[in-house]
Amino acid sequence: MATYILRRVIQAIPIVIGISLISFAIVYLTPGSPVDKFRSPRVSPETIQNLIRLYGLDKPLPVQFWNWFTHFWSFPWDNTAWGYSFTDGLPVRDKIFQRIPSTLLLMGTALVVTVVLAIPIGILQAVKQYSRADKIITTFETIGYAMPTFWLGLILKQFFAVQLNILPLYGQNTLGKQGNIPDMLLHLVLPVTTLAIISVAGWSRYMRASMLEVMRQDYMRTARSKGLSGNQVIRRHAMRNALIPIVTLLGLTIPALLSGAAITETVFSWPGLGWLGVQSVTERDYPVVLAVVMIGGVMVILGNLMADILYAVVDPRIHY
Amino acid sequence: MPAGEYDEVDLVPVQTYWQLVRRRYFQNRMAVMALFLMAGLITAAIVFPIIGGDAWAKTNLTRGPSDPISITAPLGYDNLGINIFFRLMKALQTSLIIGFFAVLIIAGIGTTVGSIAGYAGGWIDNALMRFVDIVLSLPGFFLVLMLVAFMGSGNVFVIVFAIGLTGWTTAARLVRAEFLRLRESDFAQAAKALGASDRRIVVRHMIPSALAPVVVASTLGIADSVVTEAALSFLGFGLRPPEASLGNMLTNAQEYFYRHPLWIWYPGIMLILVVLAASFLGDGLRDALDPRQRIEA
Repeated sequence: MATYILRRVIQAIPIVIGISLISFAIVYLTPGSPVDKFRSPRVSPETIQNLIRLYGLDKPLPVQFWNWFTHFWSFPWDNTAWGYSFTDGLPVRDKIFQRIPSTLLLMGTALVVTVVLAIPIGILQAVKQYSRADKIITTFETIGYAMPTFWLGLILKQFFAVQLNILPLYGQNTLGKQGNIPDMLLHLVLPVTTLAIISVAGWSRYMRASMLEVMRQDYMRTARSKGLSGNQVIRRHAMRNALIPIVTLLGLTIPALLSGAAITETVFSWPGLGWLGVQSVTERDYPVVLAVVMIGGVMVILGNLMADILYAVVDPRIHY
Repeated sequence: MPAGEYDEVDLVPVQTYWQLVRRRYFQNRMAVMALFLMAGLITAAIVFPIIGGDAWAKTNLTRGPSDPISITAPLGYDNLGINIFFRLMKALQTSLIIGFFAVLIIAGIGTTVGSIAGYAGGWIDNALMRFVDIVLSLPGFFLVLMLVAFMGSGNVFVIVFAIGLTGWTTAARLVRAEFLRLRESDFAQAAKALGASDRRIVVRHMIPSALAPVVVASTLGIADSVVTEAALSFLGFGLRPPEASLGNMLTNAQEYFYRHPLWIWYPGIMLILVVLAASFLGDGLRDALDPRQRIEA
């Protein structure tokens, strides 16, 4: 197991270098420059030149890449490691770290809600396959799966925040109530519901399929013929085995939630990493954009690794 | 043996692969409904913009949201006096065009990379597949957002290009897997023994056989591409007014949340219909094209 993890980590190194190269190339090879927005008749060309030098944009690209790459991975990261934001001059590290708790809170809550709802729904559907309940739920799942995240967010906002006026429209706190927990939880409801509806739709379909697959196995018949009650067979034999593939889904969903959260966070102005990313793309704040994309990429790699390791942990038939 | 027995055997109609595919497809009720839905959406996206002429963009300050709905304006007029129905149809047309062209790029790059990797094997295969891993590790929507924002937001070509350039990895993996299987197949070996060039084997024999998964992945890809475009336009990176897009119609509707709550539903329902049609079409095609699924005659 330890050698397996070590091998996977070593295999991940070229991928990390690859995603660094591609993100850097997209940011620095596309037309336009972050100093463009300062160009105006009131700004002298010398000032622009100074800015270019300040940002290090006058150095050859490979040098810029090397500087950025070596600093980006200089663990433990100090204030200067990820550079400074082009918009407000704050250290990128601080801007990112400041946003991480909000994103984790949103994603974590959404994930817990998803797991708590999707697994029982999937089991119920599989046990009562082709029943009316199964068919109705399947219809809802199909629609939920087809709904674009940002549209669902808008609809929920319109209904609960505008028409019923019982939930806040956007943000993480009401102005002047920073750090007030009940107030924050209230703000959390709509974005979490948005993310959860979409992922419950996907997860419960998956759980249903996984359950049906297990219920076809021979050991299910054995369990029944031993005289176990239907309930026990489902709980002790079917559910436990059906949960194994779900573990993989967990590792793959976490990075996907970060991407999905980017749109949801923007719709609800939730001050997380995703919204920061969208904002910094608009402002061409290159160092921040790069940091957000790199964190996203590393999350995908870690998610995949976690999924494979967890798979071996929960399924004794798998050996690495 | 009496001749009659052979006649009986001959009476069983011989079905070609495509006849079987068609039969399997039309036995699937959801797939047939999806086919009709998609055909309806495409027809609407072609016909209504022609009927409406420039109604989708023509502002008219004598009209407004309070005007009664009529046959010529079944969804009424928006804040600028634009006919909402015709604007919606024009937006649907834009979305479908972007979706189809993005998927063409996806299929093109995917087939090229996948077939080279699968046919060449060895280090070429290894290098290309590691590249696919790298692209897959990057956060997809963010990548599209960056490409569009930095290369020119509001430009249709940039949007199509960005969606295509980031979405080809699944198609490439599928084609590669198919090629690995086909490379060892008898007909590919026979072509090789007859002295056919690599190019000829790949282009004439293997790509046609490997096309089924690409068709399925492309159909499913339409849904993703249309939603991605809508999200881009909604966030202000895609098409901007006066251009019509389902995404920027939502941005506008968002400002009239309270007074005109229905405006947000029209583009949203169009998006859901496109996604549903494309997904069930894709699922139906996958089930119909899969030769491993035998059907009892």
